[in-house]
Amino acid sequence: MNLETKRIVLVNSSPKLTEESTSGLLNNLAAKQIKTAGLEIYRINVRQSLFQGKTENDFEAMLDADAMVLTFPLYVFCLPGILMRFLQDYYTFWLKQQDRVKNARVYAIVNCGFPEARINLEAVRVIQCFSRKINSIFRFGVMIGGGGMLQGAKDTPFMRKTFSQLENAFQLTMDDILNCGQAVMDNIMITMNFPKKLYFFMGNRGWYSTAKKNGLKRKDLYRKPYFQENVNL
Amino acid sequence: MQALIISDKEYQTEAFHQLNQLVNSFLIRKGFSLTETQIDRRDPAFCMGCFGCWVKKPGECVIDDKMGQINQIFMNSELTLYLSPVVFGQFSANIKNTLDRWIPNILPFFETRPDGSTMHPARYSSYPKQIIIGYGEELSDDETSLFLDITMKHRRKVEVLLYQGDDMEITETLSEIELRKVGVNL
Repeated sequence: MNLETKRIVLVNSSPKLTEESTSGLLNNLAAKQIKTAGLEIYRINVRQSLFQGKTENDFEAMLDADAMVLTFPLYVFCLPGILMRFLQDYYTFWLKQQDRVKNARVYAIVNCGFPEARINLEAVRVIQCFSRKINSIFRFGVMIGGGGMLQGAKDTPFMRKTFSQLENAFQLTMDDILNCGQAVMDNIMITMNFPKKLYFFMGNRGWYSTAKKNGLKRKDLYRKPYFQENVNL
Repeated sequence: MQALIISDKEYQTEAFHQLNQLVNSFLIRKGFSLTETQIDRRDPAFCMGCFGCWVKKPGECVIDDKMGQINQIFMNSELTLYLSPVVFGQFSANIKNTLDRWIPNILPFFETRPDGSTMHPARYSSYPKQIIIGYGEELSDDETSLFLDITMKHRRKVEVLLYQGDDMEITETLSEIELRKVGVNL
């Protein structure tokens, strides 16, 4: 196949409604490298796809893709419900179109708020399992810990190393797509170059500060609205 | 004693009906009164990642739909059972949605657990015992081991079982579990 015709589908699976998400930021970084490599790119936003009637076009694009890159935040140790909905619906679509299967290569980029990158592993395995169901070739995942800092501290000097690691990971992904890599690849783990205790301290302080902006007091964060005495079943 | 059963309206398979009946009979024999809720693809809505349940309306989701009532019943039950189809080795979209929208019941902060992993602290002093039963047909070993790992590797007080038609196995396993509220080790 001619390299120039390779088509990459980038799937942003952040459940957020409007505000910029970490998954969006990661997709933008990946898109920059895809464009530099001269590949064709088709972008999907899962929420918009599901709620703005775009699934048919998006599923067609996935069916015709040479590679799919699924980017999402870890929600309760696995895929967010909204991404599961999208993938389940795609699987139903795919079952009716199996004669057109292109055996795309699949990559996962997962970020979690907790500092440990390894807790993303089960989510990557879910994408691997999904890939097998649609007769696609799962290649590897990029597992990012402390993902919340990517947005908040992206311009700070201590994040340079992390962004450099991300660029390397995305370059490896592009090379793997272009070269139709066959070798078994390990998942890539990226953690923030930042002390865990300080990360916790700043994260916790951030919640108090945001609550204050919303007119709440510190103690309000600990409310127990469903405490037994407050409800009648 | 109150038990909440959460299931997926989209996967009403023969296996589901058999499992649901089995679980219902078992819990009634144990003296539980049951509340059952079935989750559909549009109700409740998907989590929108706004963290409003932590910093705008602490402890409650800002989306006004069925999930508020589910969380309220959840917190006031001795036991919650999730009957989930196993899809790509994970919970189905509908069941996962209820798990995503469960986070108002915990606090936003970070804490380190004894094994060094990170978790959000408990909001309440006790929680219902949670049992997840996955079901499906012709599940591969990869799917079943992944379904167990997703919860067992990261949660401390949540039980995960798999149902593939063996009624006796489920009944015996449920009999060995202490079906009452647990503490704060989420």
